[in-house]
Amino acid sequence: MLIRFYDVTKVYPSGATGLFSVNTFIRQGEFVFLVGPSGAGKTTFLKLLTRELIPTRGQVLLKGRNITRLRPNEVPYLRRSVRMIFQDYKLLPNKTVRDNVAFALLVTEKPRKQILPLVKEALQLVGLESKAMMHPGELSGGEQQRVSIARAIVGNPTILLADEPTGNLDMETSWDIMEVLLRINKRGTTVIMSTHNALIVDGLRRRVIELDKGRIIRDDERGIYEGEAERDAVLPG
Amino acid sequence: MRYFLAEGWKSAKRNVSLISLGTMVVAIFVLGIFGLVLMNLSNINDQLRSGIEIRVYVEDNLTRQGLQDLKQKIEGVDGVGQVKYVSKDEGLGSLTRQLGDKAGLVDILGENPLPDAFDVRVLNPDTTSDIASIISGLPHVIGVNYGQGFTENFVAATRFIAVIGLVLAVILVGAVVFIVGNTVRLSLVSRAREIEVMKLVGATDWFIMWPFLIEGMIVGFIGSSVSGLCLYASYRACIGRLGSVAPFIPLIVETGPVVRLCVSLILLGVLMGVLAGGVFIRKYLET
Repeated sequence: MLIRFYDVTKVYPSGATGLFSVNTFIRQGEFVFLVGPSGAGKTTFLKLLTRELIPTRGQVLLKGRNITRLRPNEVPYLRRSVRMIFQDYKLLPNKTVRDNVAFALLVTEKPRKQILPLVKEALQLVGLESKAMMHPGELSGGEQQRVSIARAIVGNPTILLADEPTGNLDMETSWDIMEVLLRINKRGTTVIMSTHNALIVDGLRRRVIELDKGRIIRDDERGIYEGEAERDAVLPG
Repeated sequence: MRYFLAEGWKSAKRNVSLISLGTMVVAIFVLGIFGLVLMNLSNINDQLRSGIEIRVYVEDNLTRQGLQDLKQKIEGVDGVGQVKYVSKDEGLGSLTRQLGDKAGLVDILGENPLPDAFDVRVLNPDTTSDIASIISGLPHVIGVNYGQGFTENFVAATRFIAVIGLVLAVILVGAVVFIVGNTVRLSLVSRAREIEVMKLVGATDWFIMWPFLIEGMIVGFIGSSVSGLCLYASYRACIGRLGSVAPFIPLIVETGPVVRLCVSLILLGVLMGVLAGGVFIRKYLET
């Protein structure tokens, strides 16, 4: 098993509960949607996997290793295999597309000679080879998100976490992004994506974990955005 | 390493302002002036102490044999170097020379008022007062004089200036650390997104810190080098002037000690730069 959450609770210093007694697992190579209303705990779930957060109680296991117990100097190495993309892309505006992607390898102190071919390959995968020398400001939102995906996958991580990656994009561009994420997942990278986009979740019919008030209230292998109970409640008859 | 150096230099160029650099130059320059003053006072002190002699006055009418015996006794005291007999006539001659145009005073006195004496050199200036007190207890000795009080006062004054210098140094070092730290803090703010991305993609803390440490080092080096050069040039100019106006003051004229002080200031500047950069980036990464 790639990821395991054992009785994970996260309570913030403000007293707000991010997650409450969550037990779940995710297999290698899965594509998982995290759904639920704002404040349900989706981002907390993802941040526990990059060790941006430490649970108040419980354990998060990655390949059998309890990452809540990592020493601070071990966290960077975890983040090289668990990469994350965001709604706001988090690109560096003064660097070119190529340099933004290369940056992810540069900071891991990879030899420069090895960086360029890997960057080229990542840009190919997201379809942005031709825009390598452009700056983020010259790209559309969808293209910027693809750059951020290229930056996330360039080191060939085991897990790609996507925190509402289509949140700022129109439907057509969102599908383009989904196509890229599915391609990456097909290569063997486990993808966990939080989203509010019902059309995408319903259209792809992948595993869906639904959170509400920090608890898992649904976990369907080939799920849809809304739970059956909720849909039954609004459907006539 | 090339990446760290390039980033550190770029950042220093972008964030260091003329005002902060100027303040730093002035702070280190003032620190250097105190260093020079202390070095010179210490030099004057050494010169004075190495020239200290105890003048031992002896009873009148002591026979030649008596004088010889006393000389041997003085030479027998631990820590005594050379002992030289000064007859009352020689004493008067040197007094007349010292008085210069006031030498008429000696004529008014009528007869030579000075007793016979010995000039005693000590091996270690620190033991002067102990040796003087032993000698003053010897028979036929009527008094000793080694400028009591003057050297002690001079040493006390030097110590006082050293303490003021130390307090000032602490304040100025604090100011320099603050100035460099502020420059690094500005870079931190302007590079917050970059640092966030670095952490996100797995950069180690050291990888993130290096450019900021180098930036602090560069800012510290530039500021302290300018101060060091100004200090050296000003000192050479001052020494030239003072040398002709007051040649009797034993100031340091050799290049070596002054250059060493300037180099120490530059190293101090670099060290403070690294320290300030390190403290601020560490604090930032911990939050």
